[in-house]
Amino acid sequence: MEKNVLEAAQNNVTLSEYAQILAEHLETQLKEKNFDMPMLPDVASRVLALSNDPDSDAAQLAKLIQSDQALSGHVMRIANSAAYTPNASMVSLQQAIARLGMSLITEIALAASLNSKMFKAPLFKDRLVEIWDHALASALWGKEVARISKKNVEASFLCGLLHSIGRPVVLQSISEQLEATKQSISPEEARQLEDQFHVAFGAVIVDKWQMPGIVQEAVQYYQDYRQARHHRDQAMVIHAADKLAGDTLACQKQGVCKLDTVLDDDVFAGLNLYQDEIEKLKEQTEKVLAGMEAMRA
Amino acid sequence: MSELQQVDVLVIGSGPAGQKAAVQAAKAGKKVVLVERDQSLGGACVHRGTIPSKTLRENALRVKNMRKNASLCNFQLAEDTEMSTLIDRLNRVLKAHDGFMAKQIERNHILRVHGRARFLSANEIEVVKVRGEAERYLAKSIVIASGSIPRQPDNIPVDHENIFDSDSILTMLYLPRSLTVLGGGVIASEYASIFQALGVKVTMIDRYPLPLGFMDADLTTTFVDSFTEMGGTWLGDKIVTKVEWDGISQVVTHCEDGTVVKSAKLLCAAGRLANVKDLQLENAGLSLNAMGHISVDEMLQTAVPHIYAAGDVIGPPSLASASMEQGRRASCNALGIEVGPMSKMIPSGIYGIPELSAVGLTEGQARKVHGDILIGRARFDEISRGQINGIRDGMLKIICDPQGEKILGVQIVGEGATELIHIGQMAMLSNADVDIFVESIFNFPTLAEAYRVAALAVIGQRAKHSDKY
Repeated sequence: MEKNVLEAAQNNVTLSEYAQILAEHLETQLKEKNFDMPMLPDVASRVLALSNDPDSDAAQLAKLIQSDQALSGHVMRIANSAAYTPNASMVSLQQAIARLGMSLITEIALAASLNSKMFKAPLFKDRLVEIWDHALASALWGKEVARISKKNVEASFLCGLLHSIGRPVVLQSISEQLEATKQSISPEEARQLEDQFHVAFGAVIVDKWQMPGIVQEAVQYYQDYRQARHHRDQAMVIHAADKLAGDTLACQKQGVCKLDTVLDDDVFAGLNLYQDEIEKLKEQTEKVLAGMEAMRA
Repeated sequence: MSELQQVDVLVIGSGPAGQKAAVQAAKAGKKVVLVERDQSLGGACVHRGTIPSKTLRENALRVKNMRKNASLCNFQLAEDTEMSTLIDRLNRVLKAHDGFMAKQIERNHILRVHGRARFLSANEIEVVKVRGEAERYLAKSIVIASGSIPRQPDNIPVDHENIFDSDSILTMLYLPRSLTVLGGGVIASEYASIFQALGVKVTMIDRYPLPLGFMDADLTTTFVDSFTEMGGTWLGDKIVTKVEWDGISQVVTHCEDGTVVKSAKLLCAAGRLANVKDLQLENAGLSLNAMGHISVDEMLQTAVPHIYAAGDVIGPPSLASASMEQGRRASCNALGIEVGPMSKMIPSGIYGIPELSAVGLTEGQARKVHGDILIGRARFDEISRGQINGIRDGMLKIICDPQGEKILGVQIVGEGATELIHIGQMAMLSNADVDIFVESIFNFPTLAEAYRVAALAVIGQRAKHSDKY
């Protein structure tokens, strides 16, 4: 079953009879909101709350991260990676926060706690990792697109990170069904179901997680941003970030780089980015790659 | 290369000046092209400045009033209130504005072109669209109304994430715990007082002893007192040497005298510059003056006879109200349509909390010109309406000639100042003596009563008429 599905065509494939049954199953789950809803990891929820609390300080963040041993280790690994501290070795979280800043450590902690391990889809293990790589790249690109188009930089990381949160949930649901029925579907079919249902599943999840309105609209409308009512700009930023992230990963993993084609997408004109600004955006590729490298440490 | 299209008037920018210039030219029956780099019409005034900040101000005022009346409504603003909630009506306001403007442009058969304009020569303009394709226009007359952009001093690294300029400050997701505002001008004073009223701990830093130096010190002192009473900090006479993100959680502002201010976010409101970066003015034979603006004469004509300029791009007063009239006049002048002299009496309005507004001469200017002038003041807390509304920080000042008759200027601080000023402006425009405020009957109770009180204070100082009232 498992093979590289990065290349799986996003165009419609004809679904097998069983894949159609799965589609109906997903539709019912969605309609009844009856699916295995991932819990927002406690530590992520607290990190988010802390980042929105004007009275929070570095010591509180350090204490919070330290309460989760795995996360604490992960943050320290990233803080000590070559991208952030090429010539120094950090021994404490407080030191890491002092060196890298609360915002970056918050982003690292969020990216680390919201990850592919939250989901149980053994049949799609590699795909889950791909999805999270793409989410991370979207988060980092989101910040750069927002910065250059003078939109909300702060929210863009979280919106990018969560924009495809529905995908692993769809895969988890499919995986459960396939295991229970001993059936199989092709990776292309799985990808099509993912494409078809992830936005609706994602919207239910971020609503359940009580994410800010800006995140909810970005998740719900990033593909069809013209439908967004209150935060269309943010949905556009994430649409653009999603496209850029796809190209960055395809370029990195398969050597297929089509950045100029991606930048032809209507969304960049929609964000009113002129050619010189597009060039400036292209220059951020290395920064995004370095950020991904560091956060995956 | 694209075909050269011939037009009568080409207007660059669709803000208050550009819009009026285009409509005026179209009404004169000319073929008009209006070039706008943004997708929506209206310029920074509509999308990043005047209208968004005033929408935020209205909610800030509500929050302030609810806090003040906590015993009535037990109000507390949630810590995680999103900025979008605080400018909740903005989308509706902007949509209505855009719709109205688009209809007006369409109705007048103005060709609207979305792109960046640049001069190829004095008459030839190339418009580069967002996807890079270009169109060329040959225009008999050109009106430059490209507005202004925030000035970014070299020592202030604006990143739009922690350190904002006035165009990006409203993209913040949440209200920060604290905010440093650099500058003491209109934009700085407005945002500083608005955010302070919303409960953000604001520190204003500026090189001058008081903000809003173009107004009299007694009014700006009232503004500062009100700001500090809300919990804000005013640091005047400070030169900022460096601003940096501390790498942890705060923006650190260093001043020349050793003062260090830390805050969650920073707004750099260090003035605005003419937005001419992409225009390639040199191809038209134009250059900027020492202040970084395009110089024009009283006809709004630049050094190149068929090129006119209006609005922020020509410098002060940089008020939307004045820009609209400049835009209209620029087109009239370009087309040889006769217009009367432009009124020099333009009121200025600062939409801070409290509001400030002025028309005519300041006390300082009047003293220089007229010598021993007479001043009448009325405090809002001495006016019935002020008492009813609980306004403690309001004052109206009338500046009169040494005889205590001719009104030279009016300055107001306090809620409603930007509306109230027009009474004074109308009196001045009709050359009425200050007595008009005593002899006329206003609604009661209203803040307009302050005019009467201030006028009586002036009249009371008249030696020759001391027994008249």
